[in-house]
Amino acid sequence: MSRLPAHFPLLNPPSPTPSNPPAARGAPVFHVRGLTKFYGEGATQVRALAGVDLDLHAGELVVLLGPSGSGKTTLLNQLGGLDIPTAGTLRYRDTDLTHATESELTLYRRESVGFVFQFYNLIPSLTARENVGLITEIADHPMPAEEALGMVGLSPRLDHFPAQLSGGEQQRVAIARAIAKRPAVLLCDEPTGALDVHTGIVVLEALERANRELGALTVIITHNAVMADMADRVIHFSDGRVLSEHRNATRALPATLRW
Amino acid sequence: MIAHLDRKLLRDLKRLRGQAAAVSLVMACGLAMLIMARSLISSLEGTRAEYYQTNHFAEVFASLKRAPNHLADRIRALPGVATVQADLAVPVTLDLPGLDEPASGIVRSLPDFGEPELNRLFLRRGRWLSPGSRGEVLVGEAFAKANALNPGDTLTMLLNGRRQTFHLAGIVLSPEYIFESRPGAALPDNRTYGIFWMPYKEVATAWDLYGAFNHLAITLAPGAGERPVIAGVDRLLRPYGGLGAFGRKDHPSHIRVTDEIRVLTILSIGFPIVFLSVAAFMTNAVLTRLLSLQREQIAILKAFGFTNRQIVVHYLKFAFVMVLAGLGLGLLGGVALGQNLVVMYELFFKFPDLRFRLDGPAVAIALGVGLGTVTLGVLDAVRRAARLPPAEAMRPEPPANFRPSLIERTGIARLLSHSFRIAIRNLERRPAQALFTVAGLALATALLILPNSFKAGISEVLDFQWDVVQRQDVNLGLVEPSSARLAHELARLPGVTSLEPSRSAAVRVHFQGRSRQIGLRSLLPGGRHSRAVDRAGREISPPPHGVILSSKLADVLGAKIGDTLVLEALEGRRPFANVPLTALAEDFTGIAAYMDLHAINRFLGEGDVITGASLTLDLSRRAEFLAALKEIPRVSTVAIKETMRQAFRETTAQSMGVIQSIYLTFAVIVAFGVIYNNARISLAERARELATLRVVGMTQHEVGAVLVTELVILALLAVPLGLLMGTGLTTFIIGSVNTETIRLPLVFTTYTYAFAVVVVLIASTLSAFVVLRKLKHLDLIAALKAPE
Ligand SMILES: Nc1ncnc2c1ncn2[C@@H]1O[C@H](COP(=O)(O)OP(=O)(O)OP(=O)(O)O)[C@@H](O)[C@H]1O
Ligand SMILES: [Mg+2]
Repeated sequence: MSRLPAHFPLLNPPSPTPSNPPAARGAPVFHVRGLTKFYGEGATQVRALAGVDLDLHAGELVVLLGPSGSGKTTLLNQLGGLDIPTAGTLRYRDTDLTHATESELTLYRRESVGFVFQFYNLIPSLTARENVGLITEIADHPMPAEEALGMVGLSPRLDHFPAQLSGGEQQRVAIARAIAKRPAVLLCDEPTGALDVHTGIVVLEALERANRELGALTVIITHNAVMADMADRVIHFSDGRVLSEHRNATRALPATLRW
Repeated sequence: MIAHLDRKLLRDLKRLRGQAAAVSLVMACGLAMLIMARSLISSLEGTRAEYYQTNHFAEVFASLKRAPNHLADRIRALPGVATVQADLAVPVTLDLPGLDEPASGIVRSLPDFGEPELNRLFLRRGRWLSPGSRGEVLVGEAFAKANALNPGDTLTMLLNGRRQTFHLAGIVLSPEYIFESRPGAALPDNRTYGIFWMPYKEVATAWDLYGAFNHLAITLAPGAGERPVIAGVDRLLRPYGGLGAFGRKDHPSHIRVTDEIRVLTILSIGFPIVFLSVAAFMTNAVLTRLLSLQREQIAILKAFGFTNRQIVVHYLKFAFVMVLAGLGLGLLGGVALGQNLVVMYELFFKFPDLRFRLDGPAVAIALGVGLGTVTLGVLDAVRRAARLPPAEAMRPEPPANFRPSLIERTGIARLLSHSFRIAIRNLERRPAQALFTVAGLALATALLILPNSFKAGISEVLDFQWDVVQRQDVNLGLVEPSSARLAHELARLPGVTSLEPSRSAAVRVHFQGRSRQIGLRSLLPGGRHSRAVDRAGREISPPPHGVILSSKLADVLGAKIGDTLVLEALEGRRPFANVPLTALAEDFTGIAAYMDLHAINRFLGEGDVITGASLTLDLSRRAEFLAALKEIPRVSTVAIKETMRQAFRETTAQSMGVIQSIYLTFAVIVAFGVIYNNARISLAERARELATLRVVGMTQHEVGAVLVTELVILALLAVPLGLLMGTGLTTFIIGSVNTETIRLPLVFTTYTYAFAVVVVLIASTLSAFVVLRKLKHLDLIAALKAPE
């Protein structure tokens, strides 16, 4: 028996969305130049990012592909203000994230960024509604927790604790938590990495809808090349650098993806 | 070469050093108390036994009015008697320069030639009396010290009303006066009360006692029983005003040391139990956490062939290292405490050489008890972890199950903030850990109640004694019973504003086979000075017939109001009387019986006599009064309330200071340690959750608030519980140290409670603060990786 509802009316967009033409937008949300990140020192030093140049625009849905250890997560962590790069330029709108203080980064994450992680990272002692509420409590113009959970099709599971939810449901709570504050940026690190195909697609639908309806710049890291079809732009990462990128003419609906 | 498993142990210990240190410290408190108390017991017992042995301390003692010396030969002939020493003990008053009030004390006789057979003195400074000398005196050390007397000084003494000047030859100690104080006094007042020794001839001449004795010291033949000897001595002394012989266990000085040993015994059991239980729970918490972290490691070890036993031993070693550290600290602490307390004992007890001797067996006991408790505390958890089949252990622990907490289910959920919910659900999920933290904090709170309550109790005793019961300024004792007319003479002394005569007598109270030798004191109907007061603080007016007993004495005898007691006078014609027990007096020091002054005189059949008087003074004429008093030879003792009060205050302040700082230290260690451990474990278990909160934009403070909320809830539960526990503990301890010499009332003031609360909260806050600083170093990125 599937634990997921058969279909979500709210999550059924009528048709594939045309890709947003880049010219329609002004200044980029992220301006990245020569971004470099070293871990450790001396002999054991690792270069995780080796000069990344990248502009990311509002409303875009970007899929980031690349082999394991190529620095995807590292890049996402820098974008999300979880870490500070070793060298290079990293600007979020007018804010210089390379020289931000700890509390400036906290404020930045709090106001502008929504995170979705491979391992959900929910608070086990809070219910779905409370996990989202926890964040809306500290946000400026949040949507009600129930509305965010509705957007990911979890209205019937509001008062369940993480341990009582399936992996896909937990991930959708995490997405609801990320979008409830109406973030300008939605950063997802292998959001479907721990899920089966069917569940993964439900999660991707939730992300796609959040991107479309909230207009949040959405970056999705994945090892799954199939997911590239749902993006506006696909970036290939290798050895801490952008290897190549291409733009899709139209975004495929997640429901049409198969792997 | 260290085994690899031990190397892992060292690294684990290093990582958990903060928590291990907290556990060791709490354990150290208990072990320190154990080592201190057991060592002090053996120091006191050993030193006392040696002292008694070396100085030939007697085994049976008796006082009497007077008997011819040849009576001693008849006593010597009693079966079971080995040695008899007949000597003199007489009251004395002294006129000390620099002390405007007279001091008083006892003069004891020494053989004119040679050393006494029993109760030999120890010469601290100066020299012995020259054989056959006149005009020389030896002085007890406590009095000499309090009055800065040195060999070579002169002392003016009033012996049987005659003023004489003596040359201070030496300063001595006596096994009879290890506790040198006024009979019945709870605390020593060494400035105005002393013990002196002179040649027999000197004392006997002054008191017209030549060829007679009024005090006996006896040792028993090997194997002889004390009771038959006491009975025989009593029989022989009866015609000579014998006051009842008694053994060492009723000897006032001996009792005081024994009482102290009893208190130490209680400490040496009670405190270690409490502290070690807390430490065991803390060890359990630390190890349980470590074990759940290392599930997979254990599985791998087992997969590679380590036995369950090896794994159990490995983790037990972890606990044992903490015990060893605790023992080391406890040893240092115990020695330091013991040395401090020995200094305090020197205020009360005079031994030739009382030194803190570390008791080897005590250290061994401490080690055994320490290892035993932590093994009990962790063995089960360790065994369970070791028994887990490797395949199962390889899988991460199942995710934590949560449910709405009990409190929320009561319907106030809407009012609760998210961090409050997280806190309360976590507490409910780990009730044992929460419980131990609450218990530990409560213990810390309780520990703080005890010393302040002790202090308040003592101060209440002093106030009660001198503001409620004895409202006079001065008590005078007469050399011997005198005509009541003397009272008029005393009342005319300068500065005396009121005078009430008093009569006291040595009696034995009998009730149904039980008896006690006590002082019978007089009360005046409508008297304003000495009074008896009942439990409710109401004055009891003396019944025309009948006797009032200290309620402790009634307890000891098993008598109730309405029972008929037998009073046996131990002086004069030694009459007996049947008297009803009409009321119980609440008094805190000593035990006594009270009767109407006239009733006492009727009972003793000696006519209208007094043995003392109480006075109130016009304090501006105090000096004049004291000067005039010195001219009245029949006054043998003078006790001035203010002086005694001052002396008691100083002694208690010193000794309570030491005790209070010990309890304070222990309480702070426990509060700090318990909170530290709880917070560290929460932090470790929930690093991922807390880091996630930081990732999604919560500030350090907001994340800290989640942890702090938990601690605040625990503290809110623990502190009131601790106040309750402290009240109980104090009630128990004060109850168990209550003796016939002193009883402390239970006094709990707002200050006492507030002090405990404030100290525990400060210690907890500091501790929480130390842990919260670690939030700075939360690894945000690590939290997003795969769960451990
Ligand atoms: N905290 C760290 N300390 C040292 N090296 C690190 C750290 N984090 C990442 N690295 C190294 O940086 C490089 C990039 O790691 P990163 O996690 O960004 O890769 P990734 O592309 O996300 O890989 P994956 O697809 O496996 O998640 C790797 O070589 C990794 O070992
Ligand atoms: Mg990665």
